[in-house]
Amino acid sequence: MAGTQNIGESSDNPVAINVTAMVDVIFCLCLFFMCSFQFKQLEGKIESWLPKDRGMNVTQVTEALVKEEIRVLMKWNQDTGTTSRSVLNSEPAHLGTDSELLAVIRQRRDEYISQGKTNWPLMIDAQSEVPWQDVIHVMDLCKNENLPRIEFAAPEAAIEGPAG
Amino acid sequence: MARKSLQTEHEVAPNLIPMVDIMFLLLLFFMLGADMGHRELEVVKLPLAQTVKEDKDDSDIESRLTINVFHLYEPEVICAAYKAEAICRDKTHWRIAMKGKQYADHKLLVKQLQRYADTQGGNPKNPIISEKKLMVRADKSAPFGLVQEVLKDAAMAGMYKIECGAARPTP
Repeated sequence: MAGTQNIGESSDNPVAINVTAMVDVIFCLCLFFMCSFQFKQLEGKIESWLPKDRGMNVTQVTEALVKEEIRVLMKWNQDTGTTSRSVLNSEPAHLGTDSELLAVIRQRRDEYISQGKTNWPLMIDAQSEVPWQDVIHVMDLCKNENLPRIEFAAPEAAIEGPAG
Repeated sequence: MARKSLQTEHEVAPNLIPMVDIMFLLLLFFMLGADMGHRELEVVKLPLAQTVKEDKDDSDIESRLTINVFHLYEPEVICAAYKAEAICRDKTHWRIAMKGKQYADHKLLVKQLQRYADTQGGNPKNPIISEKKLMVRADKSAPFGLVQEVLKDAAMAGMYKIECGAARPTP
């Protein structure tokens, strides 16, 4: 360990400061912070919305409506251990790569824009087995395309019959 | 003949001042870099995304709720799938936590969300919609079904503004 040190020449500075204790403490502190050090992960958010008409609302839908939306379907393939993706009412049925998926989304978006339709969401409809990373990846791709609304599809609620 | 003894002893005094300076700088670096804040956040391996928006304002963080969907840590449960960064489908290995408290009962979670979102006492036919945001920090290996349950609870509580926690990939 360090010995007694005088700061400067003894003739200049008659007050001798013993820095040994301070160095010891700094070493201990340094050791503590080095051991407990963890690099902060740069963290952020991706905004999305839930449908406002779900949840507490008990209104029952009696007939299916044709919705204006781009619905990305995500299914987990147990055999291959991968997520297969497709866009509802679009070809092809399996979009393996990101560029294929984006091409279909762009095509559908352009169709809506040419029809003057602007208020439509991109709905992510994923199976419960799909990993969260894959869902976020699709969201990320869609955000990159500047799609205004990204929503999650709620699981279909069972329609209850009349009591009695 | 008398011999003069050679003076071999020298006083060696190392100058500690530069070392102390460097130690101080190191200490400062480690102190500032230490992640001591936001204990509300559990340790979650976040999914990676390029388009994440960082919080510019602290008021954003203060005004929103955060729900963590995370895998149990190593001493509590040993999971080979999670360790291998594969998808762990064992529901007993996953936890949902908000403000440091774990919620196994979704009804209780909805109640808590309603309390924070000020949507208590709403008429089910005309639900109160909250403008408060909910941050969902889910582990990248979590099955979507777990997150979907949280989203369903948020919808039940009248919250529809959802933020998904993600990390920016390191270049």
